[in-house]
Amino acid sequence: MKILAIVENTFKEAIRDRILLVLLVIGFIAIGSAKIIKPLALGEEAKIIKDLGLATITLTAVLTTILIGGKLVYKEVEKRTIYIMLAKPVTRYQFIIGKYLGLVLVIFFTITIMTGGYYLMLSLTNTEATLSLLLPILMTFFEVLIIIALALFFSSIATPITASLITFVVYFISNFTRDLKALAQISPSVVVKALANFFYYLLPNLANFNIRNLVIHNAIINPATILLSILYALIYSALVLCFAALIFQRKDF
Amino acid sequence: MVMSRRYLILTLLFLLVLGWFLLYFLQQRIEKTYRRTLRERLVEEMMYFPSGKFLRPVLIEYQDLGADLVWLRAIQYYGHHLMTDRKFEWLGHIFEILTQLDPRFIAAYHFGSIIMAWDARQPKEAIALLRKGARENPLHWQIPFDIGFIYYSRLDDYDAAGYYFLVASKLPNAWNVLERMSAFAYQRGGKTEVSRQIWIDIYNRTNNQAIKNLAERNLQLLQADEDIVFLQSLVNKYRATFKKKPTSLYDLVKAGYLKYLPKDPWGGQYVLRDSIVISPKANRLRSGKY
Repeated sequence: MKILAIVENTFKEAIRDRILLVLLVIGFIAIGSAKIIKPLALGEEAKIIKDLGLATITLTAVLTTILIGGKLVYKEVEKRTIYIMLAKPVTRYQFIIGKYLGLVLVIFFTITIMTGGYYLMLSLTNTEATLSLLLPILMTFFEVLIIIALALFFSSIATPITASLITFVVYFISNFTRDLKALAQISPSVVVKALANFFYYLLPNLANFNIRNLVIHNAIINPATILLSILYALIYSALVLCFAALIFQRKDF
Repeated sequence: MVMSRRYLILTLLFLLVLGWFLLYFLQQRIEKTYRRTLRERLVEEMMYFPSGKFLRPVLIEYQDLGADLVWLRAIQYYGHHLMTDRKFEWLGHIFEILTQLDPRFIAAYHFGSIIMAWDARQPKEAIALLRKGARENPLHWQIPFDIGFIYYSRLDDYDAAGYYFLVASKLPNAWNVLERMSAFAYQRGGKTEVSRQIWIDIYNRTNNQAIKNLAERNLQLLQADEDIVFLQSLVNKYRATFKKKPTSLYDLVKAGYLKYLPKDPWGGQYVLRDSIVISPKANRLRSGKY
């Protein structure tokens, strides 16, 4: 119940945030622009409309997470509302979990609305709107679960701008961790090999969640990849949250 | 106080509108100072596009979207040069980037290779692009089929064409006449008929207007070639019968070989030069002068 109250509060606060509104408007404009691009695509309208919509959903969800998540904890400390919160029978880890789930709800809400707009655009442009397109959107949601945990973690140790910046950098690097693996394989140096491998397993492998290309091109997707990636997202997020809670627990207010 | 605030808002709004108009005219003036049009400049930019190897990591998980944008630019580039100088020197570079960003983009291999082989007259580069596509998409019949077609029509390498048609015929959902085409290619026969069948199929299956136009152009050229072969045989017959060269193609009508002179596929006339039948329009098209 205590956690639910924090979730509700976080959700309401984020929904009122103008950043979310701005991102949603930009997202809808981007999806809507597919109608303009259509005549220029020379036979590839369907692919471009689908690609644009899926990429916009991902980008909106990621930016919402980074920009709102970055200030989630810091704002409470700065406004000193954290004292009121912690004076109540709420443990610090409950506070962190509540904040996390609140933002998860916000992202779920954002993705759902954007998906509705996406399917509307598909039908308006007479593009085949299959249910399989929901799969990459689902994977985006699980990808963002990890980014939320990271944003929350950085938010509990840094100012909003720094936290957002670090989260973005980690997001950027985490999209090509496979290059680290390749580096580990080809490098003759033992130290480089060990470091590359260390970071490969330390950083979240966000490329696991990008199956948009496979779905758009009707390529075969191994269900095990999907299930294991979802499990990976849940475990990774839980670990980062534990770490964030641990740091938050030791923090003096 | 309320009045002055209202005036302030109105003044600000007026300044905003005025400022916007000023920017609009300024931008137009800036456009006029450029030597080239915006479209030309956009097309020129293609040569500065970094390689796909660099773009791929920079675009992180938005490579598909990047590929779509390059696709739109590629169409502009092709359209612009098709209408102007017919020089396509950056075509290979553009499609290299495009297929590096989205290696499963079959339409990019198909369109890229067809225009490279026919319009840019770079059949070997087109085949290199398709081979890359085949490595990335080994189960797509369209790619070996396109390789075979380029070997067949542009390079006159019938053994290679036969091999690739056969490979394509074994892949899922392949066009069911491919095995027959392979046999034709190995026998080095029926070139016009096979080419016509392929172009008709390409014309019917594609949604890409540029490919449709190219297919139509090639079908017209094939028709002209067939007419020329037929008319040439009549000219030869005339020479053998009357022991003299016909002065014009009308001599064939006068001799009763033809009821009337056929027109070329573009509505023009076939012409006789030194007893050789030619189509001036087909020659212009083949030399790239539209």
